[in-house]
Amino acid sequence: MWKWIQRQASPKVFYGTCSRLTPWFFWPFISLLLVGLYWSLVVSPADYQQGDGYRIIFIHVPSAILSMMVYAIMAIAGGIGLIWQIKMAEVVAKVSAPIGAAFTIIALASGAIWGKPMWGAWWVWDARLTSELILLFLYLAYMSLNSAFDNPRTAAKSSSILAIVGLINLPIIHYSVKWWNTLHQGYSVGTGGLKDPDMQIALAIMFLASIFLYALLVSIKARTEVLIREQNSRWVKEEVSGVVL
Amino acid sequence: MTMVEYFSFLPYGKYAFYVWLAYGVSAITVIALFINAKQNHTKTILSLKNKFSISQ
Repeated sequence: MWKWIQRQASPKVFYGTCSRLTPWFFWPFISLLLVGLYWSLVVSPADYQQGDGYRIIFIHVPSAILSMMVYAIMAIAGGIGLIWQIKMAEVVAKVSAPIGAAFTIIALASGAIWGKPMWGAWWVWDARLTSELILLFLYLAYMSLNSAFDNPRTAAKSSSILAIVGLINLPIIHYSVKWWNTLHQGYSVGTGGLKDPDMQIALAIMFLASIFLYALLVSIKARTEVLIREQNSRWVKEEVSGVVL
Repeated sequence: MTMVEYFSFLPYGKYAFYVWLAYGVSAITVIALFINAKQNHTKTILSLKNKFSISQ
């Protein structure tokens, strides 16, 4: 296993791994998504307080968790790139940023749409919402810093440092509902907030589907990035000429 | 007639507008992300094919 991971540091091997894994991420994602949507929209009962409005939780919570998870992966991969000079870790960090930003946008948008019927407002400057918005800005800052350099290695170095410094925001987002008196509701998972087993199953399936979606997008975007970075090497030439479009 | 009333014929009644809007926005974001990733990959391969055929 460890040897296998080490071999992924080679662009050619990593490209091949991503190509082979793409269908293994795509089909589980589609199946989990369909089952998850059915469980969220049909099987799960209405909530005793929020009626059917609570169903937004099945996209809101998975995308919010992913927005933080992807950020952590991005910062760790960036750190690995900084410490061990592994270029493929830089690639993973770079392609993760737009995916994480999209998850953050979904979390913020679904949250705003959920907030309107429940709180009467699309947006409030509550600690949870504000810290999540800062996460979006961190992603945008990372992406613009990364694209500001011509040399991909220099870009990876400076943006990875930004990503690592920004890690401080993750515990702030997570504990914000505990540390401050927020309008945002407290934890739903692991605290008895979401009690119905069907609701828990639906949330778990949607969460798994989101993880596969992230992996799928990384496996596609990383290949594009590797091709661009390694365009002067021989294997890219062979690989590209072998592809029939 | 407000949007909320207009869409209340859908499942989830008075919450229909909000629930379907949230699911719709998320679906569009995910589909856009996926199509963009696919298109970028195809474009990159095409431009590299061009580059290599010129240099040969």
